[in-house]
Amino acid sequence: MSVAFSDTARRELEAILSRYPDKEAAILPALHLAQREFGYVSDEAIVYVAGLLGFTPARIEGVATFYTMYNRKPVGRYHVQVCRNISCSLMGAEHLIEHVSKKLGIRPGETTPDGRFTLSKAECLGSCGTAPVMQVNDDYHEELTEEKIDALLDGLP
Amino acid sequence: METVLTTHFADERYRRVDRYLELGGYEALRKALSGPKERIVDEVKKANLRGRGGAGFPAGVKWGFLPKDLSRPRVLVINADEGEPGTFKDRQIMARAPHLLLEGIAIASYAMTIHLSYIYIRGEFVREAKIVEEAVAEAYAKGFFGKNILGSGFDLDVYVHRGAGAYICGEETSLINSLEGKRGWPRIKPPFPASVGAFGLPTIVNNVETIADVPWIVTHGGEKFASLGVEKNGGTRLIGVSGPVNRPGVYELSAGVLLRDIIYTHAGGLKDGKALKAVIPGGSSTPVLRPDEIDVTYDIESMGKIGTMPGSGGVIVIAEGTCMVRALSVLMNFYAHESCGQCTPCREGTGWLAKVMGRIENGQGREGDLELVLDVCDNMMGRTICPLADAAVMPAQSFIWKFREEFERHIKDQKCPFGNRF
Amino acid sequence: MPTFVINGMSATVADGMTILEAAKQLGIEIPHYCYHPKLSIAGNCRMCLVEVEKFPKLQISCNTVVTEGMVVRTDTEKVRKAVTGVLELMLIHHPIDCPICDQAGECGLQSYYMKFGLHKSRFPLEDKVHKKKVQDIGGQIVLDAERCILCSRCVRFLREVTGTCEMEFFDRSDHSEISIFPGRPLSNNYTGNLADICPVGALTSKDFRFKCRVWFLKTANSICTGCANGCNVYADFKGDILYRLRPRQNDAVNKTWMCDFGRLEYRKANEDRLLTPVIREGGKPIAAAWESVMYTTAMKFKDAAEAHGPESTAVIASPQSSNEELFLVRKLAKEILKTPYTGFSFRAPGDQTFDDFLIRADKNPNSLGAQLLGFSEEGFDRTLKAVSEGKIRALLVFGNVLADLTEGEIVSLLSKVPFVANVGTNDGAVPRAAHAVLPQASFAERGGTFTNYAGRVQRFQPGFRPRGKARAGIEIVSELANRMGAAWAFAGEASVFQALSASEEPFAGLSYESLGEQGRPAGGAK
Repeated sequence: MSVAFSDTARRELEAILSRYPDKEAAILPALHLAQREFGYVSDEAIVYVAGLLGFTPARIEGVATFYTMYNRKPVGRYHVQVCRNISCSLMGAEHLIEHVSKKLGIRPGETTPDGRFTLSKAECLGSCGTAPVMQVNDDYHEELTEEKIDALLDGLP
Repeated sequence: METVLTTHFADERYRRVDRYLELGGYEALRKALSGPKERIVDEVKKANLRGRGGAGFPAGVKWGFLPKDLSRPRVLVINADEGEPGTFKDRQIMARAPHLLLEGIAIASYAMTIHLSYIYIRGEFVREAKIVEEAVAEAYAKGFFGKNILGSGFDLDVYVHRGAGAYICGEETSLINSLEGKRGWPRIKPPFPASVGAFGLPTIVNNVETIADVPWIVTHGGEKFASLGVEKNGGTRLIGVSGPVNRPGVYELSAGVLLRDIIYTHAGGLKDGKALKAVIPGGSSTPVLRPDEIDVTYDIESMGKIGTMPGSGGVIVIAEGTCMVRALSVLMNFYAHESCGQCTPCREGTGWLAKVMGRIENGQGREGDLELVLDVCDNMMGRTICPLADAAVMPAQSFIWKFREEFERHIKDQKCPFGNRF
Repeated sequence: MPTFVINGMSATVADGMTILEAAKQLGIEIPHYCYHPKLSIAGNCRMCLVEVEKFPKLQISCNTVVTEGMVVRTDTEKVRKAVTGVLELMLIHHPIDCPICDQAGECGLQSYYMKFGLHKSRFPLEDKVHKKKVQDIGGQIVLDAERCILCSRCVRFLREVTGTCEMEFFDRSDHSEISIFPGRPLSNNYTGNLADICPVGALTSKDFRFKCRVWFLKTANSICTGCANGCNVYADFKGDILYRLRPRQNDAVNKTWMCDFGRLEYRKANEDRLLTPVIREGGKPIAAAWESVMYTTAMKFKDAAEAHGPESTAVIASPQSSNEELFLVRKLAKEILKTPYTGFSFRAPGDQTFDDFLIRADKNPNSLGAQLLGFSEEGFDRTLKAVSEGKIRALLVFGNVLADLTEGEIVSLLSKVPFVANVGTNDGAVPRAAHAVLPQASFAERGGTFTNYAGRVQRFQPGFRPRGKARAGIEIVSELANRMGAAWAFAGEASVFQALSASEEPFAGLSYESLGEQGRPAGGAK
């Protein structure tokens, strides 16, 4: 069961390769691309990217497992990542994580049975002045309260 | 007070090149290109511009590390991997004034005879990366990047490279490895990046804010920039204040501003009239200060005298009633999570520190734990490839030294007096 | 050539040397794991920290180049505490597997713990991170990820030496683990080296697993007999059983490596050995004493020569024989038998793999030696032709194969010779078809020299006395010759080599002393 990039993605990869003197540097962007194309970075995706760029799967796996943003397992449609670092904790992040956990019925690290939400604890997201902060897929949500979180999660399509 | 960076932060159109040009943008680049490169480096040295990423290394000196021989192409890498807890200033520059950064890149590249630059943006900053990419495209379209910039004969290519989630990639050699497509492992030095860096080429890595300061320095002169700060620490700094204060956010202040003023004047003091219990002054890796230690100016030398640093400009305010053990436990978990795992003292030490701190907070501390923690800290500090181990050790040591009774109480009473809550 | 001071002692060393290398040269031991002389510098174990004057922090000696006037100390309390500190942290997660771990006795953690640690662990057992143990990752290797100290030697080896990159680090922080990608096992011919370079029992040899505790093993300096490359090896044995071969450093031949095929050559000393002299009568082997086998063989050759002339005798030499043996074999053939039919073949049955690293297509350790000492492939072909034409009455053949002929071909060929005497170490088609079998000592049981493909003459040393009734090759040939009228009195391999180097030009000027442990090129060879 192998995977392959769409034509658009292949063209994007070509553009990516042209930016660097060494094709090795395309590994991180290629993995972002693979995650976008295939939903998550599966074993097949690793083997595919390895073949595309001319490296062993072990090499690509080493990179993919080092960085937190590459999901080696599928995540829900909405990946809810709540910061639990110092500033956010001082501003109540722990309570909010408990709140979201109760609301979704899952513990951090788990996915709802319908595959809609995955809840994670994140480290510092770089927006401490508007703590507490969470990231849902690509978007930051700041100055969170229980009400704001409820409104946001309930309102997702 | 004169502002270098935040002057037009509130203008939502400032991120577009047309608006940036309207407000005087890229004039500094024109001025820079009209003269010799050495002049720019001179001004940056006169400016006493210390790196704004946390280490505070003088930018002009760092630029001078590049080899004189131009036979190998050089690379300028912008460190936009802002990950130090408590720090959120580079995000503002990228989102609100990306062309300040880009103009700075063009000028700095010209000054150092660099024709290739990468902006390494942490992966989580998806929106900011898009904004910067759009700004880069605009800069190319206007002829500020690319071939024969403004008819000067100078070529420069600039690319955005996104990270993928690793605090350690804020360390310059780790960042270089990550740029090259590898695991974000810091490199042993020598060789230093200025001789062997990205793709084996001489490389300079600078923080976003450091480079964003360059256009103003070129326009107004290094001395003027220096005068905005204090001796040895010139200019203004973007200082972020977070925690339970009335006005959290980023403030552009003189490098010599009083720490007390940052908290009480600019950030409006603590919410609900609470008393201050502790301040982490420069991002989580800097030694913590007690309330009786905040009458110090925020420059590198003065902070150094009291055993801490302004670091990455992230002031984290801790109010009375906060459990310091729990706070330290949060930080120890952070460093354990972010340790790249390459070298023994950090990999094993950060992991263990997180475990033992968790135990102490949960009422399972043992007699002798604190001495053991401090001894392990001694065995980690200065023994590793990069300063992440030091970054974990400094809060661990300073919290225990300055709030020891709180830790001892957790151990003696076998419970957290604050109820295991913030 | 900087002069520096280390532990109060002044020394001058070559340019570009690191403190660690200089210390090694000066006999000062600096503990280390990740450093390996043939791999890039990693600097991650942090064991080799030393004090260097003018540096505020301790420096890793593996990556600090010695400069003029440098002052180094490796023996201070500060350094000792640092080393103990690193060791202690490394042992937080390391499982206490010593009783069942093959590495025990040659383990970096054990050694340095005894030298620098000897502390009681201050860290509770429940803090251990558990990882996957006993994984077959392909090749000759078993991986125990829990024992791994993450020194990265294996990853660097597979990247820099074999270029096959099957192993990598996964995850990060103290959950970092080395492994292969699932379904992509080690697939190169040098996997055995991973067990050598792993300082602990994380990567161990499948073949050697649980066979013997290393402190029971003795070691002999030897040469691998698997092909013409002549990799220098250590032969580890207990009693008269050989347990394993490990590479021995020789920068001119194999650096610190050997191939997986060569590693298994040790089995040839243990298995399918010819251990008793045999005479066959009417096709049936009857065990016999050396006396009768020698008497019979010598008599058969004398009779053949007398009745049908020297051209009815033939000698087929083996490229598995040592230079010393081949010298005597040719002396026997030329001076005593006076036969025109001599030769050898470097062809062999079985695997023909070769590469541009250490594996040669020629699977014999001494083909060049055989050539230099007067045997040829052309001679072999002529001799086989004579045999097939029924011209040969008495044939002396060394080794258990005839070129790459099948057993059937060998049987049919040798059936044309009324008397075939075989001198060899292992069973095979030739001894099975021979009328007299003279069991020879293996490479582990006698000394000598081989000449590798590049003309390097290298010594191999015996580990133990010949098993069973086997005898050293030079003894067998000498006694045969003397029973046929010679008056040889060679005292041992050294005296044969002395005679050899005196009369054979390619070996002129060489002696066991000058060969030392690293060998020397034969004259005219590079």
